[in-house]
Formats: sequence, C-alpha cells, structure tokens
Amino acid sequence: MRGLLVKSIRETWLATLLFGAALFLFESIIGYVMPTFLNEEAARWLEVEFVQMMLKAILGSEVAGGLVTDAAGAIAWVHPMVLYLLFAHLMVICTRVPVGEIDRGTIDILLGLPVSRVALHVSELLVCLASGIVLLAMGCAGNMVGQLFVGPAAGTDPGGLAAVLVNLYALYIAVAGVAMLISALTTRRLYAVLLIFIVVEAWFLLSYLAPFWKPAEMVAFLSAMRYYQPFVILRSEGWPIGDIAVLTVFGAVMSGIGAVVFARRDLSAV
Amino acid sequence: MSIITLDNMTRCYGSNVAVNSLSLDVPEGSLFGFLGPNGGGKTTTIRVLLGLLRATSGAASIFGLNVWKHSPRIKADVGYLPGDLRLYPWLTGHQAIRMVAGIRGMTLEKPGRSLAERYALDLSIPVRRMSRGMRQKLGIILALAHDPKLVILDEPTSGLDPLMQAALITHLRSLAMEGRTVFFSSHSLSEVEQLCHHVAILRRGTLVACEALSDLRTRAAREVMLTWKPGVSPPADAPPFLRVHTREDRTWRCSMMGSAVELVRWAGAQDLEDLSIGEPDLEVLFRRYYDEGETP
Repeated sequence: MRGLLVKSIRETWLATLLFGAALFLFESIIGYVMPTFLNEEAARWLEVEFVQMMLKAILGSEVAGGLVTDAAGAIAWVHPMVLYLLFAHLMVICTRVPVGEIDRGTIDILLGLPVSRVALHVSELLVCLASGIVLLAMGCAGNMVGQLFVGPAAGTDPGGLAAVLVNLYALYIAVAGVAMLISALTTRRLYAVLLIFIVVEAWFLLSYLAPFWKPAEMVAFLSAMRYYQPFVILRSEGWPIGDIAVLTVFGAVMSGIGAVVFARRDLSAV
Repeated sequence: MSIITLDNMTRCYGSNVAVNSLSLDVPEGSLFGFLGPNGGGKTTTIRVLLGLLRATSGAASIFGLNVWKHSPRIKADVGYLPGDLRLYPWLTGHQAIRMVAGIRGMTLEKPGRSLAERYALDLSIPVRRMSRGMRQKLGIILALAHDPKLVILDEPTSGLDPLMQAALITHLRSLAMEGRTVFFSSHSLSEVEQLCHHVAILRRGTLVACEALSDLRTRAAREVMLTWKPGVSPPADAPPFLRVHTREDRTWRCSMMGSAVELVRWAGAQDLEDLSIGEPDLEVLFRRYYDEGETP
C-alpha cells in the first residue's frame, strides 16, 4: 500500500498545489471583495427582486438586510468558481485510476505488480481525500488573508466557518465517490470526465431550479448540493450533522460500489 | 511440478470464443513457448493468467493458486512483460524502477542497474523520449529485476534489434538453468526453435499442439536434396515419404515426411550422385498448424 500511496502522491501533488493556489487566490479576492461590496451596496441591491432570487438560488435562503456578513461569508464558499475548482480537481485526481491507467494502457504494468485492485482503489481514495483537505486548507487560508483587509467586524464567525468547511468537505467526498464509481465503470478517461461533469451540472441545475420550480423542488433531494447550504449554517450557527452524514455516507457508498466494480471487472487490452 | 496449470479454460467476449477449453501444464524450470497466429488467443490467455481477465469457465492456476482469487500473491513471484507495452511517459528509467520497487516493497536499484548494463539502456532518459526498443528493454528490466520464479513475456523480442534479441534469449536460457520458469508468447519460429523446451500452439483459441520441442522435431519434415548422376533419369513418381517441391533436371528438392531409414533404403536403389538431408524444418510443421485448412 505504501508504494501505491507514494506513486499516487507523486502523480497528484502538482495538480493539488495548482488547484490549491487558484483556490487561495480566489478566496482571498472574494474574502475581501464580498464583505466590502455587500456592506456598501447591499441595501440597494437587495431591493432588486432579481438579485434576491439569484441569491436565494445560490444560497438556498432569502437574504435579509441584517444578514449581509453571513451572506458574504457564505458566497465565498458557495461561489460556482470555488465549487468548479474543487470538482475539476476531483475530475483530474479521481479519473487517473483505473480509467486513466486503462486508457493509457499502463494498467497492465501496474496490475502486473503484486497489488490488489481494492488496495489500489483505497490508496487512490486516501490520496484524493487528503488532497481535499489540502485544497480546503489553502482556500480557508486565502479567505482569511482576504478578510484581514476588511476588518474583524466583517469577518466570518470561526465556528460557522469550520462547520461550512466540514460540510464542503463532505460534499467533496460525495463527488469523489461518484467520480471513483464512474472511473471504475469506464474505459476512456474523457468519457469519465464528461460523465462526472454531467452529474455535477445536473446537481447544480436541480439545486438552482428548486426554489423557483415545483417539480424540481420535489426531486431536489437527489442533488448533493441540497445538502450543502453555507448561508443556512452561518445564519443558524449550528452544525449541519444530518447533511454532512448524508453526503459522507453517499460518497462512501459510491466509492465502495466503485471498488467492487473495479475488483470484478475485466481489463481487456484497449 | 507444474507452475502454470490451465484446466479447460474458456474465455469468451460476448458470443466470440477467444480461448476454447484450453488445458495446459507448464513444468517448473521450463522455457515454454506459446505460439499462434494473431487473434489466436495467446494474449487473452496471458491476461487471464495475470488476473486482468476472468475465465468464463474452467480453471487457471499459478503455483497451485487460483489466478483470479490470489492474483496479488501470485504476482509477487511473477515478472510480466505486456505485449503492447505502455509505460508512464513522465518517468525516467530510474524512476520507473523505483516506482516498481516501492510497490513490490523491495530494493531494485542494484539489479535494475545491472540489467540496464546488460541491455545497454540509459536509465536517465524519460520514457517519453525513448524509442520503442528502449521502452521494450525497460519493460524487460522491470519484469526481471526482482528475480521472479516465473517470467511471463508477451512477444518480448518485438522492437528489439537482433543483438538485443540474442541477449534476451541468452538471459532467458540462463534463468531457466537456474530453475526459473519462462512462459512466453511469440510469432517468431526461429526464436522458439532457439529457446524453447516446450511449445504450445493455439489456433483460433483452440490448442492444436502442446509438446516438447524435441518431440516436434522428430515429426517435422526435413529438407532433402537428391541429385542423380549425369545421364540418369529420376523416377517419374516420388516415394510416399517424400514430398517433392521442385524438380530441376537431375535434382529434386523435397520434404521428408517419414524416417531417414526409409529414405536411405530407397536411395540405395537409386543411381544418385549426391544426397543431403537438412535439419528438421519446424517452420513447415508450424505452418501446417497455423493453416486454417489443414488438420495437424
């Protein structure tokens, strides 16, 4: 297992570092810009119905005048750019093995070594989970750096921020589980990436449509995004244990199915 | 003792039967050649042995262990070179050896360097800049560096120049002399003739021959050249144990289908100027096995 972990870390550290740096940069910008902007312009913008609707779609709840700081903190962690960076990182990391190896043809060399497919899957999952922690830590650091320039009054409550980050990590696990399952099922990396993208987009769409469209609201529980609502967390100052559990269990089940599929599948020469 | 045992192993891809009821025993310490035309089922059989594919029916075992259930345990003592070798393009030879060593939990730097010297490969070059032959050499080094008990090589000489082919053949011979078992697939008849103790031939997924090369030699046709004395006409019909390929004036070139004793007895009654008998021609025999139209 150690050798597999070393191989996996060697192949992924640069991607993790680059995505982490991008997240750091974006979070530091948004950590500074959002509180400043909302403090100065919130009252005017919140009167516009369309803006209210968009904020409700993004944050999952209506933003009232007194909750601007929470809204600013939440937007920093629910902004599509943040989520796309995290999910793009997952697409890169989770589609390396097995589908990337199958597509490249190197799976023959790798599985010609004394490794079990389950051990290979587990080592990839561990590296993916560890990378997620690194990414979120870099994002969090960026956010804190941005907020340093705004002043402590506009800063996000540390307890709430911790709850948001844990919830976001649970979302990361859920998407990682799906990505690893798709990776175990496919033989072309491009198709795997496209499939993951489609799943994530469908979740986004369902989540954004739910507040405005009844049929979407009825099936919104199928979207993993439904279980990640930073604004609600920051507003209520509570830990979303249920949402975290749903996302984590979902990710674990998907990844487990992926391990079984990979362990049982035939690996024909591509 | 058999190192590899296949018992009525069948592997299908949908309705297409790639390997059909293959039974095979590979003895320990043997150099076992696995021959057959393209699409014959050689690579599929090797992939089943490596646990990359599951047999549709029948059983396959290495060291007495089921190849699907105990694949990681088996592969600790197996060196494998895939037919269509793909390596990680970003790694150098050194890094590839370190990666394999890390996964095997062994130190392979020294044997890796020694093999690289043997095969004249610069390990500092990244795989993406290596020629096909260089990559093949690196694949061979990765397969042999841990000194495995069983070496499974899928067309190992492809991409190698004749010098390196000879080096590999010498190396494989020395491994067999140390008691290692070498199982390799090939199209090359000369390679098999030079190297093998045992041969199995697959045609369209079906085993058409499996025996010691020495036994095959006794059944292989020998090339015979007969020249009659000047002024003597050769007979109109050849005897049944001679298949005549060319008749040029006083000279026949033929394949001998029977024993040399029969030929000598018949030749004694002829007014011959010269008679020569060549080595057993395995190529003719293999061609008969490969040929769809003929039953061996």
